[in-house]
Amino acid sequence: MQPIRNIQVRTREEEYINIQPIQAAGRLTADAMKALIAYGDGYSTCDLCLKPFRLDYIRKPNIADFYTDLAKFVNMDVARVMPGARRAFQAVCLSLLSKGDTALISQYGHYSLALAIEQSGAQWREIPANDKNLITAEATAQKIELVKKETGNLPKLVAMHHFDYMLANEHEIKDIIRVAHEYDIPLLYNGAYTVGVMPVDGKKLGADFVVGSGHKSMAAPAPTGVLAMTEEWAEKVLNTTNAAGDVTGRKFGIKEVQLLGCTVMGAPLIAMMASFPHVQERIKHWDEEVRKSNYFIDEMLRIEGTTCISEYPRKHTLTKINTEGFDRVAKTHKKRGFFLTSELSKRHITGPFPGATRDWKLNTYGLTWEQIEYTANAFHEIAKKSGLTVS
Amino acid sequence: MALIVEETFEALFALTDIRQLLRETKPSYKLTPEQRKLLEKRIARVRKALEIIEKEFG
Repeated sequence: MQPIRNIQVRTREEEYINIQPIQAAGRLTADAMKALIAYGDGYSTCDLCLKPFRLDYIRKPNIADFYTDLAKFVNMDVARVMPGARRAFQAVCLSLLSKGDTALISQYGHYSLALAIEQSGAQWREIPANDKNLITAEATAQKIELVKKETGNLPKLVAMHHFDYMLANEHEIKDIIRVAHEYDIPLLYNGAYTVGVMPVDGKKLGADFVVGSGHKSMAAPAPTGVLAMTEEWAEKVLNTTNAAGDVTGRKFGIKEVQLLGCTVMGAPLIAMMASFPHVQERIKHWDEEVRKSNYFIDEMLRIEGTTCISEYPRKHTLTKINTEGFDRVAKTHKKRGFFLTSELSKRHITGPFPGATRDWKLNTYGLTWEQIEYTANAFHEIAKKSGLTVS
Repeated sequence: MALIVEETFEALFALTDIRQLLRETKPSYKLTPEQRKLLEKRIARVRKALEIIEKEFG
């Protein structure tokens, strides 16, 4: 195929069943792909940007209503589209934390969250998981007490995932929020792996902030994400500029400081908006996605040497498994660890990290039952061909 | 909107729907009767659009 200049055309999603862990729920809908075609030009969203010149006030295309709908979607008061969940973490951390403060994350917390805290000048401390690889409310309370004892101050923020990115285990988010609030500590709900794939009700959970990832879980292009919050925090985190130039005296209206004015514009935003009705619908079918995930993992567990490292039965479509059997085969195979991805590739399946045969992650989100069965059968076939038993 | 512009986008959008069918049915690309019907409709739409585009350019 003719490349675009020297850029290869990406046909992974058209030719392969893709079980790559972070790509599954960010796959675009057809409407999002159409939006990219129509809105690819740089400032395409700004044709009718009228006073007060802010992205979330634009009505054509209707970005203003989208922002409102987004807040309703996660049941919070205010929402902004951000260039990825990490920029949402950053906006919250820069607003709430200062040098010498402490913020708590989980031992499975994403690195970008740790960096956002570091950037604010605060330090991050980790809440350890229990023997089931779960973060509990009790461990959260213990860590809060420990920080208080060691520093003389309570942490200023607890940032906690609902499902983490390493194992996609479900943590005690509601109780963790309750504990944080007992100490009057605000809680940032990290929904990078939930917002857009399953129903999330921020108010019901009691979260102060809800963060989501557009390109991870909302069928949107990168970089997109969501930062939603309660009214109480909006004034602080979404504060508007009040400085003026010393030479010119110029001011910048109602631009929001932490957001550096306008955030995600153009094609990524409009594509996210185009996918949104589909996303609103698809979260209603999360149970079915989890059923497919469990079916697939059950089939994988039939292969000699395979264990599920994530909690099991699965509550999510992202799973970490150990395929010790395939790892044994790799040791003597002429392609070494690459034999598995090579065999999968022949069957038009992609996603596992190239060369990985022992511990690796996969995500079945969005695959049809037919594709799930095909992929499971392909793994069985490769196992048998490699001399492994399939029960 | 100029007809030629409209039809160009119609063709691109119809092709995008076909692209979506590829994504939904990979790797066998076996279509259900419903998907087959959609494919035929979209192909017809692309053909119609191309004819208009060709005519409009003169």
